[in-house]
Amino acid sequence: MLGYILKRFLYMIPTLVLTSMLVFFLIELPPGDYFESYVNELIAAGETIDPKQIEFLRAEYGFDRPVWERYWIWATGMLVGDFGYSFEYELPVREVIGDRLIFTIIVTFFTIIFTWLIAFPIGIYSATHQYSWGDYGLTFLGLLGLATPNFLLALIMMYLANQWFGTAIGGLMDPEFVDKPFSFAKFMSVMEHLWIPVIVIGTSGTAAMIRRVRANLLDELRKPYVTTARAKGVPEFKGLMKYPFRMSLNFFIADIGSVLPQVISGAEIVAIVLSLETTGPLLIQALQSQDMYLAGSFLMLLAFLTVIGVLISDIALGFLDPRIRLQGGVSR
Amino acid sequence: MNLGITRVVSSLVGLVWIVTAAYAGEVPMFEAKVSAGELPPVAERLPLEPMIVDYVAENKTAGKYGGDMRILMGKAKDTRQMAVYSYARLVGYGPDFILKPDIAKSFQVNEGREFTFTLRKGHKWSDGHPLTSEDFRYFWEDMVQHPELGRKGVPTDMLVDGEEPTFEVIDELSFKYTWSKPNPAFLPALAGASPLYIYRPAHYMKQFHTKYTDPDKLAEMAAEAEAKDWTALHTRKQRQRRAENPDLPTLQAWWNRTAPPSTRFVFERNPFYHRVDPDGNQLPYIDNVIMNIVSKDVIPAKAGTGEADLQARYLRFDHIPFLKQGEANGKFRTLLWNLGRGSQVALFPNLNAADPVWRELNRDVRFRRALSLGINRDEINESIYFGLAQPSANTVLPESKFHRSEYANAWTAHDPAKANSILDEIGLEKRDGDGTRLLPNGARLEITVESAGESTEETDVLELISAHMRDIGVKMFVRASQRDIFRRRANSGETVMSVFNGLDNGVPSADMSPQELAPTAQPQLQWPQWGQYNETGGKAGEKVDMDAAETQLVLYNKWMIAPDMEKKTEIWHEMLKNYTDQVFTIGTVNNSKQPVVVSADLRNVPEEAVYSWEPTSYFGAYRPDTFWFDR
Repeated sequence: MLGYILKRFLYMIPTLVLTSMLVFFLIELPPGDYFESYVNELIAAGETIDPKQIEFLRAEYGFDRPVWERYWIWATGMLVGDFGYSFEYELPVREVIGDRLIFTIIVTFFTIIFTWLIAFPIGIYSATHQYSWGDYGLTFLGLLGLATPNFLLALIMMYLANQWFGTAIGGLMDPEFVDKPFSFAKFMSVMEHLWIPVIVIGTSGTAAMIRRVRANLLDELRKPYVTTARAKGVPEFKGLMKYPFRMSLNFFIADIGSVLPQVISGAEIVAIVLSLETTGPLLIQALQSQDMYLAGSFLMLLAFLTVIGVLISDIALGFLDPRIRLQGGVSR
Repeated sequence: MNLGITRVVSSLVGLVWIVTAAYAGEVPMFEAKVSAGELPPVAERLPLEPMIVDYVAENKTAGKYGGDMRILMGKAKDTRQMAVYSYARLVGYGPDFILKPDIAKSFQVNEGREFTFTLRKGHKWSDGHPLTSEDFRYFWEDMVQHPELGRKGVPTDMLVDGEEPTFEVIDELSFKYTWSKPNPAFLPALAGASPLYIYRPAHYMKQFHTKYTDPDKLAEMAAEAEAKDWTALHTRKQRQRRAENPDLPTLQAWWNRTAPPSTRFVFERNPFYHRVDPDGNQLPYIDNVIMNIVSKDVIPAKAGTGEADLQARYLRFDHIPFLKQGEANGKFRTLLWNLGRGSQVALFPNLNAADPVWRELNRDVRFRRALSLGINRDEINESIYFGLAQPSANTVLPESKFHRSEYANAWTAHDPAKANSILDEIGLEKRDGDGTRLLPNGARLEITVESAGESTEETDVLELISAHMRDIGVKMFVRASQRDIFRRRANSGETVMSVFNGLDNGVPSADMSPQELAPTAQPQLQWPQWGQYNETGGKAGEKVDMDAAETQLVLYNKWMIAPDMEKKTEIWHEMLKNYTDQVFTIGTVNNSKQPVVVSADLRNVPEEAVYSWEPTSYFGAYRPDTFWFDR
């Protein structure tokens, strides 16, 4: 096991190096750079800027150097925790991202809990009552959540919350709490705003989760050991939870790999519509304005968490299900 | 002798002022601090001769202190807008667009090349340190002239044909800049929305400068702040426009008290601000300006539910019905200000088009005029702007002193018959089966208008124009692009025609530069190559090779050295006349409306005004420091 984990860690190095190159050169690919789009943005707003100033900024931030050199500085900087400088914020990238991380984690945490709370009971019910009215009805509801465009649902709920409860439009709390230290009032304000993104983002994930629980559980329920257990008189509920349900959870453990990056990336579009102070809008804005170190470093963080997440879920699977072999190879 | 008299007069003025000052009350927000001895009383905080805002001329009422004004911004870097809105300048424009001293007590211009400024005695930075000539000297000698800090070069507006000014400190409060030739760009640059800041709080900045602080200690400070070296640290600490550094003293009405990054910036009143109302009460009336940074897409919705007290940025014409609807519930009013652009949507035939056939056609004034005559501006006004705008060429607004109907109406009457006969005359009389004209090389007369792809307003207007163009045998397509690509294509001449807004400054006065009317800058979409040539001093771009455009350039250069306002006015008129008669750009309508959401109890906001970057600095020239809450 230990050797396996070590090997996996070694594999991570080339993966991340390749990802970092890909990320950097993809961001570099579109014509122009941050300063060009900055100037154009100013012109679009009717503003003017001294061209000399821009030339100076380009040189100051090393944009007159070749691409490889800039990649090298950025990549080696990350190793020692220097993620570069955000032009848009005029701050080191670490400070910009760090500020938003906590809210992203809160939103995603609640969303995941919400999704599980809805999806598991429905999935189990659907599997045990396959092709019943209940199965069809609940699955339909879940799919409805998947099919409704998130941004539309977000807009509608935001509007209704404002009209009915007087909740301030957008954001994760009323504006007056933003800089205040944490208090009960602030907590309540966060709760007042949090349920909208949680429901909106949650509903879209619920349908997929329901179907997966249902399908995996159905596979298990058809196996002979379930029939045997039933024949031996094991109570229905225990017979369901003790073996088939546990076995059907493999997919769920494998999912952890994708949950980890999801926790910090948040749902971008919904976050923009709802004006959440999460990392999603930050990434999109950075990509739009070619704020490349902010965008690049953030993408690298996601890549890193994905790699770690996949490793964790593989290890967990190995522990949970002895049938899974660690070494690959053809079975004889 | 002369000096003696001035001294007597100024001490007299001081005496008079001290008498009136007795009536001026303490700012309630600072009462506790003053009685605790943390702040000097208001009389000691104000300059001896504060700037008194003329309430009669500007139609304002004396106000009450207090309240927080909420504004919404869409991006972290929008904190820049605060320096635009508060608009305290060395010299600045009021609502009459005339240049007057503001931070400076007075200024004197000699032969257009010698500029002497005198500061207000007792004027202090927001931390209470006196503002003196030293702050100006610091900028010029320790920043611009410094071998390391000065790598950025001398600001363009401080160069005349490459020549730097000589700077001279006369005494503690007065100083002088001298060039050998006139520099008409200097004062307007000082008064700009994004002004030329020729001063820095020297007492604060010196701690980041090697001349005054031990280099080793500075290197340590730079490393701690993750700055590359001390110059980067200095640059970061001194930003005037994006004044996010809460420790940086300011002269503006409010200063930022929130360290970035944040989504809520609190700008607190500057206790040492230099303006007063006619009763001697220190401005601003409003205690704090609170800037909430939200996603720009929810700003209309937030403004429409009363979550902003003063909002125009990110609101558009098509939001007006929604905003009006929310007025009662959200307790706000929606004012409709005039947009200060020469034309709301204008077409720019690219005179530097790469395709020789198109280049020749675009350069033919008859072609440009015919296109202009083919547009039905009344229909555009009625169907897109609810009839609230005005059909006009791309020129100055009726509010401008330079407005003449001959400019606004030049080639704007809808006359398809005349347009058709002009196009026939140019040699485009052959037509294809569907009535589309044929170019001399046999290709169909199909114009692809490129847009920056940002506003649906442009697309709507273009759709109508394409319909009008069909009547004169011109086929028009719209190609939405993306801002950066749009600029690149226009510069390289790949674009035949582009669409953008017209003149940025629709209410100019004679001392403002007419540079928008001549090929002077690369962003000018009708002649990017010529503009670049003149902007870079011939290092890039192409030399102007068209008489009509050359005329504009000659006039512009004449304006630069014109000795007086009369001559400058004359040149302005000549340039406006040529510009509209030559139809360098094809205007549609102007004086379109900018919705301004104003809290129902916010006073002193003008009902009607011009909303533009230059010269009004959006709200700046209307003095938000005089706005107050009637609560």
